Amino acid sequence: MEHTSPFERIIRGVLIAAVLLFFLFPILWIFLMSFQTNEQVLRIPPSLFFSPTTINYTSLVTGKLQTAAGSLDLAFMRNLGNSVLLSSVSVALALVLGVPAAYAFARFKFPLSEDIAFTLLSFRFAPPLLVLLPLSLYFQAIGLDDTYIGLIWVYQLIALPLILWIVRGYFEDISPDIEYAYRIAGHSWLQTFTRIAIPLARPGIAAAGLLAFIFCWNNFVFALILASADKQPVTVGALAFVTASGIQYGQIAAAIVLSVTPTLALALFAQRYLVEGLSLGAVKG
Amino acid sequence: MTDIAVPARRRRVQLLPYLLSLPALLVCIGILVPFVTAAYYSLLRFRLNMPAMKGFIWFGNYQAFLTDSEFWNTVRVSLLYTALTVGVELVLGLGIAMLLQKQTRLNNLVSILLLLPLMTAPALAALMWKLMTNPNFGVLSYLVQLMGVHDFKWASSPNSALFTVVLVDVWVYTPFIMILLLAGLRSLPKQPFEAAALDGVPRRFVFFRITLPMLTPYIITASLFRLLDSIQQFDIIYPMTQGGPGNTLLVFQVRAYLEFYQYTNVGRSTALLMILWAITYALSNLFIKQWLKLRERARGLA
Amino acid sequence: MAQIELRSLTKSYKTGKVLKGVSLVAEQGEIVCVFGPSGVGKTVLLRLIAGVEELDAGAIFLEGRDVTDAPPETRGVGIAFQNFALFPHMTAFDNIGSALTAHGASASIIKAKVEKVAALLKITHVLSHLPRALSNGQKQRTALARALAADPKIVLLDDPLRNVDAKLRYEMRLELPSLLRASGATVLYVTQDYKEAMAIGDRIAVLVDGRFEQIAAPPAIYRGPASVSVARLFGDPSINLIPIKPKATKDGAVCEIGGATVSLAEIHAATPGRSLLLGLRPESLNVSDQQAPDSFPVEVMAVTPLNEKTVLLLRTHDGQEIFASEAGVENETRQPGPAFARFDATRALVFDEASGARIEGRA
Repeated sequence: MEHTSPFERIIRGVLIAAVLLFFLFPILWIFLMSFQTNEQVLRIPPSLFFSPTTINYTSLVTGKLQTAAGSLDLAFMRNLGNSVLLSSVSVALALVLGVPAAYAFARFKFPLSEDIAFTLLSFRFAPPLLVLLPLSLYFQAIGLDDTYIGLIWVYQLIALPLILWIVRGYFEDISPDIEYAYRIAGHSWLQTFTRIAIPLARPGIAAAGLLAFIFCWNNFVFALILASADKQPVTVGALAFVTASGIQYGQIAAAIVLSVTPTLALALFAQRYLVEGLSLGAVKG
Repeated sequence: MTDIAVPARRRRVQLLPYLLSLPALLVCIGILVPFVTAAYYSLLRFRLNMPAMKGFIWFGNYQAFLTDSEFWNTVRVSLLYTALTVGVELVLGLGIAMLLQKQTRLNNLVSILLLLPLMTAPALAALMWKLMTNPNFGVLSYLVQLMGVHDFKWASSPNSALFTVVLVDVWVYTPFIMILLLAGLRSLPKQPFEAAALDGVPRRFVFFRITLPMLTPYIITASLFRLLDSIQQFDIIYPMTQGGPGNTLLVFQVRAYLEFYQYTNVGRSTALLMILWAITYALSNLFIKQWLKLRERARGLA
Repeated sequence: MAQIELRSLTKSYKTGKVLKGVSLVAEQGEIVCVFGPSGVGKTVLLRLIAGVEELDAGAIFLEGRDVTDAPPETRGVGIAFQNFALFPHMTAFDNIGSALTAHGASASIIKAKVEKVAALLKITHVLSHLPRALSNGQKQRTALARALAADPKIVLLDDPLRNVDAKLRYEMRLELPSLLRASGATVLYVTQDYKEAMAIGDRIAVLVDGRFEQIAAPPAIYRGPASVSVARLFGDPSINLIPIKPKATKDGAVCEIGGATVSLAEIHAATPGRSLLLGLRPESLNVSDQQAPDSFPVEVMAVTPLNEKTVLLLRTHDGQEIFASEAGVENETRQPGPAFARFDATRALVFDEASGARIEGRA
């Protein structure tokens, strides 16, 4: 249908190359930097060619950094562990809470159902500090300050709306007759929910779970306010790391690479569902 | 056939849906409490370092804003930041989406690769760009020097700080707009475009009279989504500059954060956030209407 | 003992009252066709019986047990939905076996029962397939097999032939009655095709305007519809309705159609001047070139030969258009033009125009 001239094809090629360069170069550069010693990093002009070293990663993993001034302790692996813990437990909890609720909103029209669903959605758009600042005072008062439980609770603000609204769409797509057929065949409501509704909504549940994991992992401000050093995830930890280690640029780059790799890998894995997830189910990819 | 009069039955009370949604609700209500508290704090003279002065002053904090040039600076910077980021991202995102519209293997691969910046935590993206613009070894600093621009200080100079954080925001979030518009473009019906091509309608005309109007719901949804996020910007500006240099980048949330932790002025901080909340609330109402329309449509297509 | 007993079921939605007091008693082994135009609430009725919708008032007894408030899984009915509603993530075997797993049957019993019903419905070769790999006809048979697998005493079928192609529908119409009778179950069979209802049902329950207007055996309904609305639903082309006012003469009751005087059954002499509707089935009209006693003049407007009959469009002299049909398509001499129509007064149906009820007036 479309006839493209050679000239136009060249222009398109150049534009796509430029777009790729702009969006991928930073990731590539940091990746390369993470394999350089400080001397290599500071070389002018910067070069794409160098003899790679894994020293940055080994010192991050062992938590010991040998410098001229002596040995320095690095807590970065602890941050990475915190990220894994906070994100996965938050998503697991959000699935346990959110999937039944999504089913209720999809299947039953009960009084206030839409209001409740939209209230949950509106959490996604309120300024997080508005909730976090007073919450930090409350958490101090009831002892949830700087605890994993407190953080995981607050992370529900990220994960729950996402799971609720994406999974709800998948439940709504299941014909009610399919569930009725199973119940009439003699199965209880709970059996129908676990053996029919959940398996049929599984792609949506998986997509929502993956996305929620990515968003929890990438969150910065919740932990910045509610967590102290030993509970901080990588997003906050990396910032503290920069302040603490100052000029250890190679390690900073390695820390960033370790911090973004899980989400980038998951994103590629879940890319089929990203459009739907990012738009909270408004646009199908 | 005899109709026996049978009394109307009392409806069974539907408990199940409440039981199913209650846990999720309870978890969220716990988080709603601080919201009410924030609204209350914003009406107080409340400084953490001077608990004795705590007292109810009605709208005193808000009134003080009216004559506070710092407040108006925050409003100005926030709006400017929002307008610049959403504007640039919309134009770029639309351009890239149209570049990748055709379903070829290359285009699909490119659109997947472009997701990577979006999936990078904004706070970490800010650190990445901070390293790239480091005056000693940053590759971008080196490049602008090669182009003959000396003394370009990126985020450390008031003249270029806004440019730098907008650049990072554009790097992270343009793919968001792009991917939504790409999905929109690909879901448009083919017939109008084929008819226009057969009739030899000029491309510019096709773009302004057919593509743009049909894409409008997607553009509005994507823009509102970004507006809502951008006006609340924190994750990029705070790690990169803490709102500086000076007051150059003191957007709402960064300023509220500093008011709270640096000046320990809870009343002012929460009043500032309440104003931001009012803005986002209005925007999100608009957004939800658009979003619902689009959601209905997506469900119709499925 | 009645297997299904419905007592004055009512059900309304926001859009209005759908069922306004539906009552029915069906005996063991009986096939009752619930028939009516689309959108009349037939499916709602099945859903109420199955327990997936709640009724507003009334009571439902299945196998003598009051199940009005019982959840669907305890009612022990088998159901086949119009859209099949197969479980997309289970094989045909597991779909059919789903009614058996619920009651904790052993694997070998499930296997035996599924295979037995699959053989009856000729789908043994596709038992390992997922629904998306089945043809429409196979899906429909799987849905039927699922409804019958657990030997339910009560089977509800919601227009099961609606979504299959014409050939299969024809075959199934022949097969289904013996299949259902062999199962021994009491069957409620919903359809909006009068021919299907007449072919399959022991009795037909005609649902009109939220009530059963008539419940009777197929020939009885066709020959003696209780009302105009029932008469209209059976027959293709549908029944001709001619407004008449009977007169009493010394030779008995007569009326006027298109300027001609036509005899009626004796009973109508008793109510001269009453507004009636004369219901004439197209096949009971006799069209001829010759005038005869009790015939009335018509104009043949169009002649449409169908496969087994010829349909004539006639116009009476007072402008009413009516249909007549004749067996066969051999009569090629039939041409548009003036003619005379006649009917057997003893077989004509007569309805009261105001109430729509049929007046017993036949020989």
